[in-house]
Amino acid sequence: MLTREEVLKIAKLARLTLTEDEIVFYQKQLTRVLGHIEDLNQVQTSKEAFVQHVPSDAIPFREDRAQPFPNHEGLMGNAPAVENGCFLLPTIVEHS
Amino acid sequence: MSLEKYEAVIGLEVHAQLMTASKMFCRCPNQYGASPNTNVCPICTGQPGSLPVINKKAIELGVRAAIALQCEIHSESVFARKNYFYPDLPKGYQISQYERPYSTHGNIVVRLKNGDEKRIGITRIHFEEDAGKSNHESYGTLVNLNRAGVPLIEIVSEPDMRNAHEAGQYLRALHSILRYADICDGNMEEGNFRCDANISVRLRGTEKFGTKVELKNINSFKFVEKAIEYEIQRQVFAIENGEKIIQQTRSWNSGKNVTEVMREKEEAHDYRYFPEPDLPKLTISVEWLGQIRNEMPELPSQASERFKKAFELSDYDAAVLTSSKELAHYFESVVSHSKNGKASANWVMNELLGRLNAASKEIEASPVSATQIAELIKKIDSGEISGKIAKTVFEEMFATSKDASVIIKDKGFVQISDPAALENAVRKVIENNPSQLAEYKAGKVKLLGFFVGQAMKETQGQANPALLNELVKKLLDT
Repeated sequence: MLTREEVLKIAKLARLTLTEDEIVFYQKQLTRVLGHIEDLNQVQTSKEAFVQHVPSDAIPFREDRAQPFPNHEGLMGNAPAVENGCFLLPTIVEHS
Repeated sequence: MSLEKYEAVIGLEVHAQLMTASKMFCRCPNQYGASPNTNVCPICTGQPGSLPVINKKAIELGVRAAIALQCEIHSESVFARKNYFYPDLPKGYQISQYERPYSTHGNIVVRLKNGDEKRIGITRIHFEEDAGKSNHESYGTLVNLNRAGVPLIEIVSEPDMRNAHEAGQYLRALHSILRYADICDGNMEEGNFRCDANISVRLRGTEKFGTKVELKNINSFKFVEKAIEYEIQRQVFAIENGEKIIQQTRSWNSGKNVTEVMREKEEAHDYRYFPEPDLPKLTISVEWLGQIRNEMPELPSQASERFKKAFELSDYDAAVLTSSKELAHYFESVVSHSKNGKASANWVMNELLGRLNAASKEIEASPVSATQIAELIKKIDSGEISGKIAKTVFEEMFATSKDASVIIKDKGFVQISDPAALENAVRKVIENNPSQLAEYKAGKVKLLGFFVGQAMKETQGQANPALLNELVKKLLDT
């Protein structure tokens, strides 16, 4: 079982504020998630087993030629807010 | 406080931007200074469904760096996702390499100020993509993704350095190698060569490392040395006062000349690295490696050896003249015109570099061109002007960028090699100094030097020294 302190530490890293109920809830839920990962860890895999199905001579390399993306406006249009050409995001990092 | 009781243990991490035309995993131009978000596409802005494709040239430049740094190059390496949360990281992860970097176990030999050489180990080099840039304003965060996805190599050193000077020399040597081999332009102001330093101190003679502090993003050699110097003293002072060193990340405040806390360990990131499923293993074949080796440009150490042989220079002279690619090219250009290696080395090192340093200028901004300095050397070698006059001429050249011939003509600086012209000056000096003449005649031959000096003055330093010496002696002895 994850300790209360561990849950609070994870919450801090994720910039989350938890209520008392949520702390108890996540203690249980995260413990179950981690237990599942533990189960998965029993499977023997080599470090790069996940890409073994790709033959190494199949790697597509790209020649180093610059080519600006043609639909720049479309790309910027996806952003909820733009200012002076920059994506404008709500303040999410506090600086002391 | 007794600093001598302690020694510092320093390791450096350098991020070097690769000189490619396009980004690491997409076709966007790799270009500094463009208007915000003009060099962006679905891949480097992390749009759903986009997939990275590796830039071949980036791999070649990285391998070139590994060759230059004497590293082992692995035929297979694996890209990994480094997950963290920040506004300028659109995908929520940076593509990097973690457990299996493409290159490990290298070294650089650096020259220290006491003349010793020291080998600094390189733990690893790996590929990664750069993040974008955020500006935090009162109303929100402005994000420019032009730099997101620009190819980098991160070069991690062994903790082999023991003081700020060694760290500074390592960085200079690394910077020089990367620039020589056209891997990275080394522009520190634009952030194309950035350094983080890990520093701890321990009692001399002990093995165990102390608690380390990380200094982030220092953007000049001078600041790196100052910041490390400061940090060593800060840590020793803390230990001597019975305090514990806290593992933390600090930054250098160049206004106040101090390091300041950025974040503490408990806030440190857990990056949850895992292999990048969108990219297969990176395979560098023997053939490809051979081809990259064949295309290697000359490295500073090779240029230094070549200079020593071709121009009969000392170790020191050759090291100074190859300390940057621009300086080496400048010197070679001087020699090719002057045909006098030793004199070219002396003029570039003693006269030009000193003045450039005093004026805080780089060789690229030299007011005197390589051909101009070579012309001056030729005039000395041909006897047109004396070495002494040449220095005066050079001062004028440095101040005005004028050609030596123009200055010599304007100021009437031509060396007098006509015995008849010099004889008058010598006779005048002898006549004006009867008592010294008497002493000379009485056997005080040392006074020859006095007469030569006076005669040189009489000619405003323009006399051919050998001829003048000969004339003075002849006239005194008759």
